[in-house]
Amino acid sequence: MTVAATTTGGLDASRVDVRIDGTLIIDGVDCTVAPGTFSALIGPNGAGKSTLLRVIAAVEKPANGDIRFDEHDLFGLHRKQRARVVAFVEQDSSTDLALSVRDVVGLGRIPHQGMFSDASAKDSRVVQAALEDADVASLAGRDFTTLSGGERQRVLLARALAQQPRLLVLDEPSNHLDIAAQLAVLGLLRSLTHTGVTVLAALHDLNLASAYCDHVIVLRKGTVFAAGPTVEIITPQLVREVYGVRATVIEHPQTGRPLVAFGPLAG
Amino acid sequence: MVVGVALAVLLVLSVTFAITIGPANITPVDVWLSVLHHLGLGPTPLSLLRDGIVWQLRLPRVLTAAAVGAGLAVSGAVMQALTRNPLADPYLLGLSSGASLGAVAVLLLGITVLLPLAAFLGAMLALGLTLLLASSLGRITPSRTVLAGLAVSALASAITSLVIFWTATGDSYREILSWLLGSLAGAQWPEVTIAFAAIVIAGVPIMFSGRILDAFAFGDTSAAALGINVQGTRWSLLAATALLTGAMVSVSGSIGFVGLILPHAVRLLVGPRHRALLPLSAIVGAIFLIWADTAARSLFDPRELPVGIVTAIIGAPMFAFLLTRRRSVS
Amino acid sequence: MPALPRIPAVRVLVVGILSAMALTGCATTAAPSPTVGAAATSTKALSIDNCGTTVTFPKAAPKRVVTIKSTSTEMLLALGLGNRIVGEAFQDGPVPTQWTTQAAKLPVLSTNVPSQEVTLAAEPDFIYAGWESNFSADGAGTRSELQSLGIPTYVSPSACKEVGYQPTKLTFADVFSEINQVAAIFHVSDQKVLADQRATLESIPKDTRGLTALWFSSGSSTPYVGAGIGAPQLIMNTIGLKNIAASVKDTWTSFNWESVVQDDPDVIVLVDASWSTAAKKISVLEGNPATANLSAVKNHRYLIVPFAASEAGVRTASAAKDLSAQLAKLNFK
Repeated sequence: MTVAATTTGGLDASRVDVRIDGTLIIDGVDCTVAPGTFSALIGPNGAGKSTLLRVIAAVEKPANGDIRFDEHDLFGLHRKQRARVVAFVEQDSSTDLALSVRDVVGLGRIPHQGMFSDASAKDSRVVQAALEDADVASLAGRDFTTLSGGERQRVLLARALAQQPRLLVLDEPSNHLDIAAQLAVLGLLRSLTHTGVTVLAALHDLNLASAYCDHVIVLRKGTVFAAGPTVEIITPQLVREVYGVRATVIEHPQTGRPLVAFGPLAG
Repeated sequence: MVVGVALAVLLVLSVTFAITIGPANITPVDVWLSVLHHLGLGPTPLSLLRDGIVWQLRLPRVLTAAAVGAGLAVSGAVMQALTRNPLADPYLLGLSSGASLGAVAVLLLGITVLLPLAAFLGAMLALGLTLLLASSLGRITPSRTVLAGLAVSALASAITSLVIFWTATGDSYREILSWLLGSLAGAQWPEVTIAFAAIVIAGVPIMFSGRILDAFAFGDTSAAALGINVQGTRWSLLAATALLTGAMVSVSGSIGFVGLILPHAVRLLVGPRHRALLPLSAIVGAIFLIWADTAARSLFDPRELPVGIVTAIIGAPMFAFLLTRRRSVS
Repeated sequence: MPALPRIPAVRVLVVGILSAMALTGCATTAAPSPTVGAAATSTKALSIDNCGTTVTFPKAAPKRVVTIKSTSTEMLLALGLGNRIVGEAFQDGPVPTQWTTQAAKLPVLSTNVPSQEVTLAAEPDFIYAGWESNFSADGAGTRSELQSLGIPTYVSPSACKEVGYQPTKLTFADVFSEINQVAAIFHVSDQKVLADQRATLESIPKDTRGLTALWFSSGSSTPYVGAGIGAPQLIMNTIGLKNIAASVKDTWTSFNWESVVQDDPDVIVLVDASWSTAAKKISVLEGNPATANLSAVKNHRYLIVPFAASEAGVRTASAAKDLSAQLAKLNFK
């Protein structure tokens, strides 16, 4: 299925198969994300969301299929070039290394630096901007390992921003955050699309997906169950079929976006 | 930066001071005049023999100690980063024992020219075995890696001992014992050359991998997402540490704990960023081994202690401390 | 193994010992001695405190002996007891020529330390070893174990390591005491052997040139050398050499080249063993730029002693005589 015209670029993954230890986890997935839009990848636990994101972010090779972005085959690009095109924020990325927050965000500049070159003035400026955009500038001097889960998540987002990617792939970016921080992060991702960045994020919360995303891709048991504009996809039938939950979808009184009110488990 | 300059000065002072210490009664001034003489500056005040003590015995030994200390400390720092294991060290993961085995094997075959190469291959083989064994136990954790390293180390040491048992005659075991305990006695200019060549070939490229090692600290996926060739980088850096360890073991036997404790000490000084950690570990490692060896050769003058005993006496309690600290964290 | 009570070293001295001391002019506080004179035919079982182990012998002299290390084999050959040896092990090199034919007939149990099983298979009624370490669980067996099997054991007293048993500074009286003790164990006379030893010693001129020496036993990066209290020191004293490692209170010691270079010994005694030949030692000395300039190395002032003669025993006196002759030939301008 096609969400938007592919001729203008953006993400285009086709016929993607992923096997882990011989088991087919992702089975012939096609998906596209139009450039400069924010799409959500939703689906129940175990649907293969994280696996698909790792392939789209080109950190893991699929058994079959192509991942293209703006007409470039991501796996055909040199690693460093690729890391300047796509950035990936993992769901859970921890470390024992007591680096400062600024140093962690600085790692995002690796794809832009030569092996022997030192951080340039431009690198410092980009890092500072990323710290501010992710709202962690006040933590810049802190030891990363002492941060709370939510703070870490935002620092890693800042690191991804420092890569200055055109495609940003995130696995549950709002997971550890309180509601205000969730809204702040999704708002930031939304605003990135205005600068031309294409964003694809796995999200658990259907209401957040509804509120912020242009498009939704629904993954179930390793295949695409549905994909399309948010308002068309987030329906009571879909919630029931995919999650086995009764729901009513109403219009958000302020934004007009879909709002899912859950009923009991479907019988 | 300030710390770096201070340590570099301390290293130069350590070299210059350590060569003035020894059983022979030679004044520091005479030592220096002799060194300057060999650098083409002025006549030496010393007799041929006493000049030999300075130029053929002490200076090569101190320089070898510096290079070996630097090489082992850097190897330890790199291995700790690549395996995300604060307990990693060429000694604990079996590289040193593997290198010793390689070295002893070629020594017995009589092809001493291949000594550093054989030590490198032995280290590489031991490292491969350790990682293979650790991964076969499930997810690679620090303690599994150390246990696997222990097993590989025990195996390599056992084979080395077997080789010694099989071939040693009279009291020639004394010679080979120094491979197992580590000793810098007998370090001469060829040893200095080997040790420094290894530093240039393997150590210098490692120095430029600081940022990449920082990225490795967040896991392979994270590193891959930052455009790093995870497997290629990991194996070439591990090969570089095996080369460093192999070269160092081929000149000094397997000296323990330098690679384990010094990177931790340096982290306390300058923090964990590898761009600072790697060069400073090299400098501190050099200073540490110079003084450990000076103690080894002068504490029981005119007898000599294998320097590995000195480093183990200092290092083993530090290792225990690291273990208990880890436990309290987890 | 139960700990044995420490017994004061000096006990009842014997006539043989006293006469040896009188002749050599040495005093000794070393080897504890049996309470029997040489060649005495005892009516009681003989009991000896050997390196801290009490060894009891039956009334009859041993007939089936296993010897470990050259010193023990040669001791028995010297006492004319070669026909009692049922197995030798861990020999350090060829025996002196006068015993070659006899030694060739001896069954060799092992070129290294024999295992307990190999040792017992020879059915010995006495085991005589050069080193205490030869009697270990992974060697010929522990002494207490062998004693419980009814096999008395004996170690050259000059090789005892325990304080109170190790000679504080080895003398020929210690060597003679061992000859006397072994003769007593076998109920034979030591008179001829002792007389030969004394004659040999008396014929050695003491060098008076005040020469210093290094006794280079083995090693390359760390030299292993004769130190201040063992057989090397005794031999060097006897022939008039001053040992540069005499300050180390040990029989042999690991040393360092810097001290050697600092002292620049006049001569170097090279121990010649099949596994570390004198030629190899010369190449070690010449190959190290620091030692290549030693005056002994530059002028090839070497004395060579076979390894088997470098440990205390019946060959010590003749080794001293041989080295003395080599020394006399060295020319110092």
